[in-house]
Amino acid sequence: MKERKNKRFSRIREMFSGIPALGWLVGALVAVIIEYYFGNSLADFLHMDRLPVLFGVVVILKRPLDIPGAFVYVMLIYAIPIAVVARLTSRLMNRIAGFFDRLPLWVSAIVHLILLYYVLSVWTDLSDYRLLILKLSLIAIMVTLSLNVINGYMGEFSCSHPGFMALGAYVSSIFSVGLFVNDRILGHALLGVVPAWVGQLVFPIGLLLGGAIAAIGALIVAIPSFRTRGDYLAIISLAFMFIVKSLFDNLGFLGGARGLGSQPDWATLPTIFIWAVLCIWTINNFVESTMGKALNAVRDEESAAESMTVNTRKTKMIAFMFGAFWAGIAGGLFAHVLRYVNPGTFGLRKLAEVLAMVYFGGLNSVIGSIVGAVGFNLLSEMLRPLEIIKWIIIPTLLILVMIFRPTGLIAFKHFDVREILKPKLKAKERM
Amino acid sequence: MKRGFLALTIVAAFLMVGWTMTTPTPAAARTIVIGLNIPLTGDIPKVGESSKNAAEMWLSDIKKAGGLKVGGKTYKVKLAIEDNESQASSAVSAATKLITEDEALAIVGPQASKQAVPAGEVCNNYKTPMISPWSTNPATTKDRPFVFRGCFLDSFQGPVIANFVTQEYHFTKAAVLYDVASDYPKGLAGYFKKAWEKLHGAGSVVAFESFTTGDTDFSSQLTRIIKSDAQFLFLPQYYNEVPLIVQQAHALGWKKPIVGSDSWGSPQTIKLCGKDCYGCFFVSHFVAKGAKGITKAFCDRYQAKYGEEPDDVAALTWDSLHIIQKAIENCGKLTGNLKKDRVLVRNAMAKIKDFQGITGKMTFTEEGDPIKCAVIVKINDKGEYVFYKSVCP
Repeated sequence: MKERKNKRFSRIREMFSGIPALGWLVGALVAVIIEYYFGNSLADFLHMDRLPVLFGVVVILKRPLDIPGAFVYVMLIYAIPIAVVARLTSRLMNRIAGFFDRLPLWVSAIVHLILLYYVLSVWTDLSDYRLLILKLSLIAIMVTLSLNVINGYMGEFSCSHPGFMALGAYVSSIFSVGLFVNDRILGHALLGVVPAWVGQLVFPIGLLLGGAIAAIGALIVAIPSFRTRGDYLAIISLAFMFIVKSLFDNLGFLGGARGLGSQPDWATLPTIFIWAVLCIWTINNFVESTMGKALNAVRDEESAAESMTVNTRKTKMIAFMFGAFWAGIAGGLFAHVLRYVNPGTFGLRKLAEVLAMVYFGGLNSVIGSIVGAVGFNLLSEMLRPLEIIKWIIIPTLLILVMIFRPTGLIAFKHFDVREILKPKLKAKERM
Repeated sequence: MKRGFLALTIVAAFLMVGWTMTTPTPAAARTIVIGLNIPLTGDIPKVGESSKNAAEMWLSDIKKAGGLKVGGKTYKVKLAIEDNESQASSAVSAATKLITEDEALAIVGPQASKQAVPAGEVCNNYKTPMISPWSTNPATTKDRPFVFRGCFLDSFQGPVIANFVTQEYHFTKAAVLYDVASDYPKGLAGYFKKAWEKLHGAGSVVAFESFTTGDTDFSSQLTRIIKSDAQFLFLPQYYNEVPLIVQQAHALGWKKPIVGSDSWGSPQTIKLCGKDCYGCFFVSHFVAKGAKGITKAFCDRYQAKYGEEPDDVAALTWDSLHIIQKAIENCGKLTGNLKKDRVLVRNAMAKIKDFQGITGKMTFTEEGDPIKCAVIVKINDKGEYVFYKSVCP
């Protein structure tokens, strides 16, 4: 009996094993387009108030009567179209993927990314709530990944990430609000109010400034603290986080504890998507480079690495600053999504959140960080109707992950883009 | 086996579709949704609980009346409650969700300013009326036509306290101890200082001491205050810090009066502080003991239903919901088009004059801030909050 069951599962798995990433993306695209045109009428037909936003989980928790409706909806809109389209087009998609495989990697990557962006933008077009969740998730990916460089690849335990985010958030806000917005706190716009497209052009400057200041902040922590290891770095970096927080608490001209608001609405989905892709790309290249390997060597045994001609001090310093830089960029985007920053946001709670995402997803792994950040964010948003019970479920999940997979869900895995995008042949054809 | 499984799946699928078809359709067009964006978890869960209690009491009233009557039609009312976890980012997602998913006609909350400021931006962008019962930060309503508040501002409260102390005690020298890292105490301390110095000249605030959120030892600041020749201490802190500070001050030998702000209003203050706080005065939005008329009716009902005295959050939430109710009723007629209705409600809300709430009469200014009276409360020798006098602008 059990054997049969296994056989059935392996048959299903085999049915879908020959589908390349391109096939899944096309399937997802078809699904979101179907939802775009028929989602509302299907929800009506199933007697639901509205179409389920986050795959029906919120609906299930709030109105148990709608469970079958949500199930049918998710099956009809997502599961079945994706499976059918991906399966039926697998031969064609394999051929196309094979064609891309012969081209330089960046061509194929860009085509896939455009497709992914299109899927996401159609999906979020139906609901601004979805759009906000997606934006926050993309930012969470950046933060998680940048902390993973330090805590995962370098093997130190740094607690200053909310501080770096705060630096990025405030610096980019000073840039955008101070120069382009008439505001009560920062006064008259120094360069005048600009149209949105000009804003999009100058926004990267503000973000890069924020990232740079965060990196300088990292340097200030790094110089004294890298003489120490382990627990001591954790303490120093924690202190840095509190210093940054109380700095902004006491800077009256930035609004102090009241916070700084009225950031222009520049953090649109394409902007955040491009920055997130850039972040994943550069961090992945960084950790796969000689420097990244040196980082792993430092983590495993510092003195051995030193004797193998690795400049451990320089390596650690660069990795730390690099992580802080991306945390600063993420902080800047975060401030412009919420269009308000206050020092209280970047406290212990944010730290716990970021650390949870890193350790939930998996150390030393780019995919792990993506899975951790998106999973944690979606879960946190989906379970919100449970109120206090949510704070029992999420920590329990974390504990279970720590027990059964102590290094996180997908740890120590290479993120090989070519491997992911290449055509998948069925087991038979491979032989 | 395989065929059986397949058949079972198909039957189950049909059953599910059948079930959904038989579930009755909700009369969506005839339902008004009021959103509640409150902190049910996080740092101040008590605030969320009080708001929820008040809102549920309000809803049961509406249900008893059979719904909300607008222009001859009766609408059902539904509350959509979202937990904002006492975090700014969650407050923004909660507000977005209430507006786009739950299709709220109007939103009550968030309560604390750190969430009300960003959530107000969202509501204003979507042109959805929002009223924050408890947020005292001017930025919440500033330049946002769709955002209102239910309480007086700190810029009003500061002078009220300064005037009251001057008239009551004829003091000329003040000391202030406040949390520099928290938005509300810091703002209020500043307004009080300005008002006091206007009354008694520069340098009349002889000690202006601060600490940081989470501190539990205040002896160095208190020693400096005791050494100065201040005649009283102004303490704009929350219920979790007031008892610590007052008890430590008395232990260090401070015998002069201590005056508080509306943040003392929670019943927790006196529960934790005990005898040390007896005889103190503070400013509040309303007082349960010795209340009259509709305020008393509310307090009695709340006490009977939830077994505790209502705090200021509950009272302000109650008033805010009634303001929304009144605004909806004043619209005359709802079009059924949510976007248009939200604008109608907003305009009706801005026009409300002399609204008689349980926390006093209210009229909105152009900014969406109410002009209303403050209450001076005395903590008597039994540890009860009693009405002392009312101060109106």
